Amino acid sequence: MSDIKRLVLILFGWTSLVTALHLGLNVDWSVVLNDRMPEDKRKLYVAYIPVT
Amino acid sequence: MTDYISRFTPAGNLFIPRMFQGFPEIKEALISDKIQAGFVVAPLAIALRSQGVPIRIVYLGHRYGSAVVVRNDSAITDFAQLKGKIIAIPSRFSDERLILNRVIKKFKLDVNDFKMVEMAPPDVAGALAARAIDAFSMGEPFPSQAEMGGFGRVLFHAREHWPDYMSCVLIVRDDIIEKRPDAVQALVDGIARSGLWLDDGRPNREHAADFVGRFYYNQDPRLLTWALTNPLNRVTYTPLSPYKPDFDLVRDLMIETKLLDSTIEFHEYVDTQFAEKTDGLSPWRYVPGSSRAE
Repeated sequence: MSDIKRLVLILFGWTSLVTALHLGLNVDWSVVLNDRMPEDKRKLYVAYIPVT
Repeated sequence: MTDYISRFTPAGNLFIPRMFQGFPEIKEALISDKIQAGFVVAPLAIALRSQGVPIRIVYLGHRYGSAVVVRNDSAITDFAQLKGKIIAIPSRFSDERLILNRVIKKFKLDVNDFKMVEMAPPDVAGALAARAIDAFSMGEPFPSQAEMGGFGRVLFHAREHWPDYMSCVLIVRDDIIEKRPDAVQALVDGIARSGLWLDDGRPNREHAADFVGRFYYNQDPRLLTWALTNPLNRVTYTPLSPYKPDFDLVRDLMIETKLLDSTIEFHEYVDTQFAEKTDGLSPWRYVPGSSRAE
């Protein structure tokens, strides 16, 4: 395998890993899925602050 | 609370709780329809409605649970001794500010003798410990945080000067009330049942402190245990229906303190239809287990 090919593979692997970690750790999937529901079926977003 | 327990009900959870660090951000999110409902301090809700924001108050979040706290090592034992001192409040539009105005009036003092500064609630205990402020008027668990940390002392609880005191209320956008009344009713019913469950005794409160601290507030559960049990009526969760005399009092204080420039009637900013249907509800049938909830 040429050096160029190896470099491309490493870059691809690294980018895939970072993307997968980002999607898993930073994306709130409940929000993404909820926003794609029809309006009358969506769960309501309810705001609160950490006070009684 | 309601979210956690309703996960264990056949209907499942019907809403997504979103934590914010301050009321101004909640206001902006409501206006831009990023959120459809939220808990804010009552005067802010009234002010929003009077400014034309399409929201209504449908229920309360709790009663009591606010206190004025001074540094433990200060010589202050009487409210009048706070003259000339810096007191942190969560917002100009808060009951925590109005309770100060009420006490200032009660003791025939001048409001201009007190320097009130707005501060995000999570910052006040640290500011008191660092001597950046002399006192704060805030909702739980921040008075408890100052007490537990050993650097703060409660000068007075809101209940001592304001019977039936309320702070956070549940507001809902008008379009949701109109289009999805069943969802709003489910939310209000859930809060009502959570309130009854919380007021059902110490084990429920200890269990709630555990899962709310770990899963919702990102706070040490011991802090919430202190706030919810020391004593048990430090914060109460019944009755949570919005009553006209309570809101008339808040509105009048707002006009008196120039937070409102004209009067607004109860029915213009409160929708009681959901609270009226909570009569006869029973507490959640959720048995507190070990001290750590899963």
